Amino acid sequence: METTGDSWIGARVLRKEDERHLLGAGQFVGDVRMPGLRDIAFVRSPMAHAKLKGVTKPEGHEASVFTYEDLGPMKVLRTSPDMPTFHSAHYPALATDRVRFAGQPIAMCLASNRARAEDIADLVQVDLEELPAVVDVVDAMKPGTIKLHEDWPDNAYIHNTIDAGDMEAVAKIAAIKVKRRFKMNRQPSVSLECHAVLAYWDFRTGQLVVYFSTQGPHVMRIGIAEALGLQEYQVRVIAPDVGGGFGGKNRLMPEELAVAALAYKLKTPVRWLEDRREHLIASPHARDHYYELTAYADKDGMLLGVDGDVYVDAGAYPMWPTAAFMETSMSARNLPGPYQARNLRARTFTVATNKAPMGPYRGVGRPGACFAIERLMDEIAHELGIEPVELRRRNLVSSFPYETIGGMKLDTGDYHASLNAAADLIDLPAIRARQAKGELDGRRIGLGFAMYTEQSGHGTGEWVKRRGRIIPGYETATTRMGADGTVELLVGIQSHGQGMETTFAQIAAHELGLDPSKINVRHGDTSISPFGFGTFGSRSIVMGGGAAARSSRTLGEKLKKIGAHLLQCAAEETHLKDGQVHGPNGSVSIAEVARAANVRPDLLPQGIDPVLDVTMTYEPKESAGVFSYSTHGALIAVDPDTGAVELLDYVVAEDCGTMINPLVCDGQVQGGVAQGIGTALYEEIPFDDQGQPLATTFADYLMPGSMEIPNIRLAHIVTPALATEYGVKGMGEGGAIAPPAAIANALTDAFKDIRASFDETPLTPRRVIRALDAAKARVQTGEKP
Amino acid sequence: MKPAPFDYVRPSHLGEATEILVKGQGSAIPISGGQSLMPMLSLRVASAETLVDISRLFELKTVEETSTGISYGAATTHAAIEDGKLPDPSRGLMHKVASGISYRAVRNFGTMGGSLALADPAADWPACLMALGALVTIVGPDGNRTVTVPELIEGPYTTILAPGEVITSIEVPRLPAEARWGYSKFARKSGAFANSLSVAVIGGGNKARVVIAGSSTSSSLLTDTASLLDRTPDATEDDLKTAIRDDLTKVDPNGDDYQHRSHAAIVLRAVQQARLP
Amino acid sequence: MITVTLTVNGQEETHSIEARETLADFLRERCNLTGTHLGCEHGACGACTVTINGLPARSCLTLAVMCEDRAVQTVEGTRGDPEMDLIRKHFHEAHGLQCGYCTPGMLLAARDILRRHKAPGEATIRKELSGHLCRCTGYVGIVEAIRRAGAELSDKS
Repeated sequence: METTGDSWIGARVLRKEDERHLLGAGQFVGDVRMPGLRDIAFVRSPMAHAKLKGVTKPEGHEASVFTYEDLGPMKVLRTSPDMPTFHSAHYPALATDRVRFAGQPIAMCLASNRARAEDIADLVQVDLEELPAVVDVVDAMKPGTIKLHEDWPDNAYIHNTIDAGDMEAVAKIAAIKVKRRFKMNRQPSVSLECHAVLAYWDFRTGQLVVYFSTQGPHVMRIGIAEALGLQEYQVRVIAPDVGGGFGGKNRLMPEELAVAALAYKLKTPVRWLEDRREHLIASPHARDHYYELTAYADKDGMLLGVDGDVYVDAGAYPMWPTAAFMETSMSARNLPGPYQARNLRARTFTVATNKAPMGPYRGVGRPGACFAIERLMDEIAHELGIEPVELRRRNLVSSFPYETIGGMKLDTGDYHASLNAAADLIDLPAIRARQAKGELDGRRIGLGFAMYTEQSGHGTGEWVKRRGRIIPGYETATTRMGADGTVELLVGIQSHGQGMETTFAQIAAHELGLDPSKINVRHGDTSISPFGFGTFGSRSIVMGGGAAARSSRTLGEKLKKIGAHLLQCAAEETHLKDGQVHGPNGSVSIAEVARAANVRPDLLPQGIDPVLDVTMTYEPKESAGVFSYSTHGALIAVDPDTGAVELLDYVVAEDCGTMINPLVCDGQVQGGVAQGIGTALYEEIPFDDQGQPLATTFADYLMPGSMEIPNIRLAHIVTPALATEYGVKGMGEGGAIAPPAAIANALTDAFKDIRASFDETPLTPRRVIRALDAAKARVQTGEKP
Repeated sequence: MKPAPFDYVRPSHLGEATEILVKGQGSAIPISGGQSLMPMLSLRVASAETLVDISRLFELKTVEETSTGISYGAATTHAAIEDGKLPDPSRGLMHKVASGISYRAVRNFGTMGGSLALADPAADWPACLMALGALVTIVGPDGNRTVTVPELIEGPYTTILAPGEVITSIEVPRLPAEARWGYSKFARKSGAFANSLSVAVIGGGNKARVVIAGSSTSSSLLTDTASLLDRTPDATEDDLKTAIRDDLTKVDPNGDDYQHRSHAAIVLRAVQQARLP
Repeated sequence: MITVTLTVNGQEETHSIEARETLADFLRERCNLTGTHLGCEHGACGACTVTINGLPARSCLTLAVMCEDRAVQTVEGTRGDPEMDLIRKHFHEAHGLQCGYCTPGMLLAARDILRRHKAPGEATIRKELSGHLCRCTGYVGIVEAIRRAGAELSDKS
């Protein structure tokens, strides 16, 4: 790690993004104004599974209602990994002959405003012949179940088996055997800004301009251009301010494609602003994991292996570009967690059901895997009657690099330090003493821990292994300096609220010896920024940050060469600091150098081209990723009468390597934890037997508010990565991974006297009471948990 | 998520409002705070041909002391009660209840009369006002009538209000100085509708009133529990539990085991709070 | 269509609208005041909070026609207001926002909380803020920003 200028790396710089939002002057897609703009409302399937026999447009509104046929020829996008065992299907922009989930778009209605578009949608008649709905992920795989996609052999997108080590041998020798079923229910990502897209044909540039609330404008351009049969240069995607995404805005939704197609067809501006009900019903859903697992340990609590089945309910269709193919394999590979177990056997099933298609959501397969393994670890501890923290101490990976039995190449870290820091921060001994005394209000206190690793910034090799058709193995940045010495940093990565306009400016400032105020980061416009894959997979700071470092550093070298010429010294003798090129006998301002490079070529040394404009790509040296990790600790109080759970304290001891901006890192962790608490206790879209979603507004879909989220306290451990610029590790997803496990472990701790087992999220009051009743019944019959 | 079209009228006095509402025969709906009606209209689960804006009618805004208590105009907002700017006959119960309804911005506009007229089973005011023995004055085409809250509310989202009838005021009797109240509410998250909500008012020479309400249980008086408390003010917890269970079987026959347990726990807490010295 | 006149951020606005138009849509689509954000359109998220005659209101739960003759203030109307500028400063310093979508509603709620509670502590702020959803921050920075703003305002008064 070489520093070449002022140390902006690690500085708590206040965010550049804040001012516009604090003035109410941000610009989200819904804020874009366009003369003649019309609104779209979709007609959606009321049934989960049906043959679509016809659509009748209401009289007088024929020209305002559009079906798939009306949108003109569209190319079917290939939506699958590049592997023959994966079954794919066409998720059409509007349904053609069959609907496969309640809420699937069938037709679109156009009017001068959304209310009138909804009026028309209410009048559209849809002729459906209902089919049996496939709702349960295990039943879906039973022989004889109706198939969603008739050309598939069964309802699995893919099934697979991981078998590493010798599970048969382990099963024979293990002193401890714990068998559990775990379920993490279904939810969408619930960005506060719903999905939004506005499209129009720009006659001046000959482009379809698509304002798009997305995490990856460049990749979305590829999909839109291909589907509509346009040249890529004919499509310009602009992601303005994006009001959160968390993964849910990293897929091309059929509605979004339909809007683009309609704007191209009509050559007039149209928009669709997803409303909250649409978001809950039909935006990419997530989680919905089901596990049947057995953990084996020896008499000292050393985890020997994990064996069992992993089901992921991936919903009715694969979503472009990559379907949900990573979810099960990522989950299975993460089952050993940060532990030294040497045996793993998992049968995985990624299953199609009549529910909304699955997309990625903060953590993807890891919250489920973490929930499973961390619950199992606590059960082993309770079997042995030892402190769960102690059990973890015995099992943690302690020397690096270490390749887990799941194939994760853990690069650097101090996992014990993280565990100890979390136990200290929450004050484990004090809590045990408090529990021994009991609570005056009759509630039970419980303390739970959970740990995880977070693979981040993985490169080409890893993605090739996963057989993606798009390999997000690098990122791109352009550092461009104007004649006054200020910088535009154009990045292919996309910020959707996480502060990259600040952190990336810090990187360029660091490399160029400038103040971050001299650097303006631009992203989110295919006509402005160089190509990039977008923000997901905790990759932005590793990949995009790395690209920004490289392009800025390279530009800095050029500044030094020109500066050296002006200072009459050698480039090697100069350095950049405080806006100056410093030489042994004096300095020249970077602004002066920039003036020479841009508008006074007569002042340049021989062999140096004018203009300060460098574009570079970046991929870390190690493509297996760098691993952030954390220990979460949750202290809860449970009301045994109602099953209500209150979080009394929540701590995180995390290590994401070098932090570019600790302020932003804290915010990422705290925000992630809040989402994880939502998964753990509140958020769920249940379905009835007919596949009808039962939470369609915030009255039924409970979002945690300021009373539900405690003050989340943090400790940082810093173990720089070896393979990345500055030693950074990606960390955006981590906060959301562990809360379900930590909170369920806390509940289990609160009732360990009866060995109650809390194995399904969200842990609603009803589920808590059910688990307590089951435990009490077991105690009565003397049955083992 | 936008409402279907409707007409809008803003009558200048109550008589005009009832006239329009009678003429509309159910297709005309009164709106005041709109905090419950607007989401239903936007979701298109409720509709109206005409919305009759009664939010500015002075007849619904009068708050006055009567010989026995306080009469609140139906348009009295939750926030007005929460802020303690109005006289309080309930010795703090109404303030406590008001400050726990939904969220502040909603409390600024949501009204007591609206809450009663909607009769959401999980709402706070019907339960609270039932426990306080409030009287509800209704004005309609055929004149006034005054009813108790149990008479007003027939079940979830169902009242005796006929088209054209508007709740104009709610009279809350003054609690005697020796009376005590208890209030317990269990919701899955702050501001959400209650799973279980109970209000108990005992002592002071009045008959005890204990009310349960909740997501699928319309506000109901628990009569066995109340008579037990009247007979035996210091009844044991076990006896109370038995009475509560018997009551719940009657008032909430469709509630499942979990719901009854949650209700029973919340009722017991309200009663115990009311019995604190 | 109905003609409605109200005051928005001190300026009279007269528009011919359908009765069903919410105040939120009126502000965003007629007045082009897009700082008022829609996050749920059924009163649960708080992003669309404005004030009507000084009282915080969900503009998605309010019909524009019902605001005839009322004075509405949106986040845009708070620019230059010293009390709000101080709150903004603390939101900035305490990292009280990430994507910015909930921020306008949070600011109007924060000002109302600080007008009703002098130097409130964490518990009061959390209770009062519970009708405002944020999906990014976990509320930590927001609660801290309001606490600091309250402390500074109370020092000044």
